[in-house]
Amino acid sequence: MADLITIAVDGRDVQVPARIPLIEALRHWAKVETPAFCYHEDLKVAGNCRICLIEFEGPRGWQLGISCHMQTAPNLKVRTQVSSPGVVKARKGVMEFLLVNHPLDCPVCDKAGECTLQDNYMSQGRHESRLRDEVGKVYKGGADHRFTDTKGGDRGGKRIDLGPSIILDQERCIVCTRCVRFMRDVAGSEQLGVVGRGDHAYLTTFPGQPLDHAYDLCTTDVCPVGALTGKHFRFQQRVWNLKTVESIDPSDALGANLTIEYSFPGAQGARVWRLMPRRNPEVNKSWLANRSRLLYQQLASNRLGDGKVAGADVPLDDAVAAAAKALAGARRIALVASGHATLEDNAALLALKDALGERAEVFGGSWLAVGKPDGIALSGDPVANRAGLRLLGIPDNLDLLAQRAGEFDLLLSVQHDLWAADPAKAAALAAIPARLVLASWQDATVAQATIAIGVRCWAEARGTMVNCQERIQVLGACPVLPNPALEPAWQVLARLAGLSWSGEAEAFKAAQARSPRLAGLSYRAIGPQGRVLAPAAVPAAVGA
Amino acid sequence: MPHPTHWKGKELPNVLRRLFDVPGGHRLAVARQHGAYSTIGATLFDKSPFELIELVKDSGLRGRGGAGFPTGMKWSFVPRGTGKPVYLVINADEGEPGTFKDRLLMARDPHLLIEGMICTGWALGVRTAYIYVRGEMLPQIQALNHAIREAYDAGLLGENIAGSRYSLDIYVHRGAGAYICGEETALINSLEGYKGQPRLKPPFPAVSGAFANPTCVNNVETIMAVPWILTHGAKAYRRWGTDKSPGSKLFSIAGDIGRPGVYEIPLGMPMPEFFELAGGVVGELQGCIPGGSSAPVLNAEECAKAAMDYESLAGLKSMLGSGAVMPFNATRDPVAILRTLTRFYAHESCGQCTPCREGTGYAHRVLDQVAEGKGRDGDIDHVRDLADQFEWTTICPLATADAWPIKSFTGKFRPAFDAYLAKNPDRAKPRELTQLEPGAFM
Ligand SMILES: Cc1cc2nc3c(=O)[nH]c(=O)nc-3n(C[C@H](O)[C@H](O)[C@H](O)COP(=O)(O)O)c2cc1C
Ligand code: SF4
Ligand code: SF4
Ligand code: SF4
Repeated sequence: MADLITIAVDGRDVQVPARIPLIEALRHWAKVETPAFCYHEDLKVAGNCRICLIEFEGPRGWQLGISCHMQTAPNLKVRTQVSSPGVVKARKGVMEFLLVNHPLDCPVCDKAGECTLQDNYMSQGRHESRLRDEVGKVYKGGADHRFTDTKGGDRGGKRIDLGPSIILDQERCIVCTRCVRFMRDVAGSEQLGVVGRGDHAYLTTFPGQPLDHAYDLCTTDVCPVGALTGKHFRFQQRVWNLKTVESIDPSDALGANLTIEYSFPGAQGARVWRLMPRRNPEVNKSWLANRSRLLYQQLASNRLGDGKVAGADVPLDDAVAAAAKALAGARRIALVASGHATLEDNAALLALKDALGERAEVFGGSWLAVGKPDGIALSGDPVANRAGLRLLGIPDNLDLLAQRAGEFDLLLSVQHDLWAADPAKAAALAAIPARLVLASWQDATVAQATIAIGVRCWAEARGTMVNCQERIQVLGACPVLPNPALEPAWQVLARLAGLSWSGEAEAFKAAQARSPRLAGLSYRAIGPQGRVLAPAAVPAAVGA
Repeated sequence: MPHPTHWKGKELPNVLRRLFDVPGGHRLAVARQHGAYSTIGATLFDKSPFELIELVKDSGLRGRGGAGFPTGMKWSFVPRGTGKPVYLVINADEGEPGTFKDRLLMARDPHLLIEGMICTGWALGVRTAYIYVRGEMLPQIQALNHAIREAYDAGLLGENIAGSRYSLDIYVHRGAGAYICGEETALINSLEGYKGQPRLKPPFPAVSGAFANPTCVNNVETIMAVPWILTHGAKAYRRWGTDKSPGSKLFSIAGDIGRPGVYEIPLGMPMPEFFELAGGVVGELQGCIPGGSSAPVLNAEECAKAAMDYESLAGLKSMLGSGAVMPFNATRDPVAILRTLTRFYAHESCGQCTPCREGTGYAHRVLDQVAEGKGRDGDIDHVRDLADQFEWTTICPLATADAWPIKSFTGKFRPAFDAYLAKNPDRAKPRELTQLEPGAFM
């Protein structure tokens, strides 16, 4: 690459891009692990924690500098903890200072196990405390929240309700200002600030004002310690018990990258405990809207069981058999694709159309209103896979279906809550006598179904969606299922089409067969950060 | 007590003190009789900005706010013709303990500051300038505002100053009395309405300072020397002082001294001679803080060798700083002095960066124990080690300014500290580990 320059790290020449934060060069190019509390890839640099100190050769010889604020430049020479005892000592000193007024109540701290302070103590500090009891700690906290502990000590704030979603443990705050910078520079709503000076400085909101922003839970992600915790997750689960699956936000066309965190199997039983933003610099950076983050709360509630025929619960196979029979007997069939379902599911729907032949017609689109992008992690379009439908050649013509409802005697919809999206328009569909619905939840459309088949939801089946940037992204399958009988929608559809697809990879192949832009891809090739699809071949303009 | 005019048969410099003893000198009419604004006319405007900067460079004038950076050089860093406004900000925060020279200057001779600002503004192409004054200095703020009004009325500020087509507006901005707001980037933050916390550098203020525009921050005393240099020339200024520390400087001396006060003396005067000029040390000299509380303390032998210039004091591993001289005699307790100083820095830490925020307070708490006779063996070394840990690891030099007194006091007056430890019969006991009790964590 033409843009690479050479810097010396611990006497070793390393090629790095010019003018990037030195800490990034150290971490990703020189492969020297460099700690940070206040530095965050997606926030402005504050340079206040001082743990990323390194030595560099300046005009007055080797001197200490912070690698988050320094930029790579030709001929830069640095020494890290690898070669400099001075760096080791400086960082140990910073660790000692961070801990001297810290409560160190890790055993009862929700952050334990994923706490940057704990991690760095183990890697950089490991000092014996020199703090004597009489010297005492200064616990962070505003006057309103101070309390006297059982030993008569003056303590900071321990359980401060900041607003609808967040609790602050002020004593644990290391005043890194990540949360303040997130609210100011990313959320654009300066609801948090640090007041006071010296070791009495503490985090707070404006007097009497809550922290209540649609993204405020991101402050709990950026908080390097157990100071900010989300009410939805605190004290629910020890993080080291959790396993993870990579997925994306299924509720928005940006497809913010996220991780599903679950326990399975365990003493507590299988359960999804939280969704965490997964960094993708091109998509959602490190952010996730509260709304998307809390989607996991629906995974185990109000689910459609195996299936229903004429409103009565039936086993899955019976529901599928009823559906097959209905399809076989129908004259004119409307198949409704869904941008809430994966490419795999929609490819299976198209395969069913092929199996049904001339009797079937495919409709697509959505009646949901499209909003504006918020510039953070939502595009405003609630139809996550809208671009995927386009890619598969599925038309955007739901209104046409409503107009022509009288022509059909069977409606089949997949993961598409038509009656919730626009009850007035959907009312026309009630004219179709047989309504076959594949769904994960007992939604308004299931309520209208003559036959309903329960299927796995977005978190439970591997699949792909194409986001509003034409980026194809993978949704991983979390093995936690509300009902082990459930199959992915593509599998049910393939069965109805008389196909025996062995797995989602085969469904994906079926999708690839329908779009040259998917050629050559596989789940592995798409990778955890997704892949922007090659542009569609533009037909040559007709010359005059 | 009027300022002495002569010392040992020689006339003392009179660059800054011309109105110290003139009643009503803060009024334009009176100040004019003593030469105020004599440069505002051909003397200034016939010089190109470039020539003026060269003149100040030649004079060797150095910043009087603490760091002693060559003023002409600092001015030459301010970019020109960028299309952005250039701001001049006068640092009148004067927070360094022991320093009380700027407040005297502003109270007695505010017009000299305005004149210096017009000269500097001309040199740097400034249209708008600020004076950032420590909030507590009400009489000075009143004097400045009054003087500025008089200057506007006399056509010496505002549009087209003295028919020169040069225009300058000056605003007085009142700080809230935080020591850290004297640090130039914290000052700029405060001026902009933000919390007074130092900024990361680079960018330096000369490139991106107030409102993200090129900004020159200078101390009151620095700027007030400019009109004299412009009138009398660089060579005349260099007739005082040493080659690297030319000219005169104000020293505010207090403590165990016969006549505490503000003195204008040539740089390079031997410290014992300066003590003599100021009425002599009261009692037997034990030590002296030579340049504001941040400057490492000197013991009596070092004082005997020291001269009042930048190089001499740097040679003794201390500094001239803001020119606040605090001699103390043998009856004073170095432990009590250091305890007070560390309390000051812990209190004034802006709380932004870890080592200073947590470390200055921690070091102070340990010293508190020592001073209360509850110190343990190893406490002094511990505090020195803490000082090492925050000396060079922070965003701004406030932590360094705490580390230096800690290291110099405990180094030079160690027996006094050890004597305090000896008061504790339990001093050799090891550190007890905290017993965790149920409910201790809530
Ligand atoms: C903690 C701290 C406090 C300071 N306080 C003052 C002050 O009160 N007055 C001042 O003129 N300079 C002060 N300074 C120095 C300024 O940052 C800056 O160097 C000075 O205003 C530049 O002016 P000069 O070049 O004319 O000296 C302080 C610096 C630090 C680090
Ligand atoms: S934040 Fe919590 S886990 Fe981290 S060091 Fe503090 S008490 Fe321990
Ligand atoms: S609450 Fe957390 S993120 Fe916010 S300043 Fe404190 S430690 Fe940093
Ligand atoms: S060294 Fe102290 S005063 Fe300076 S920025 Fe850091 S915390 Fe603030």
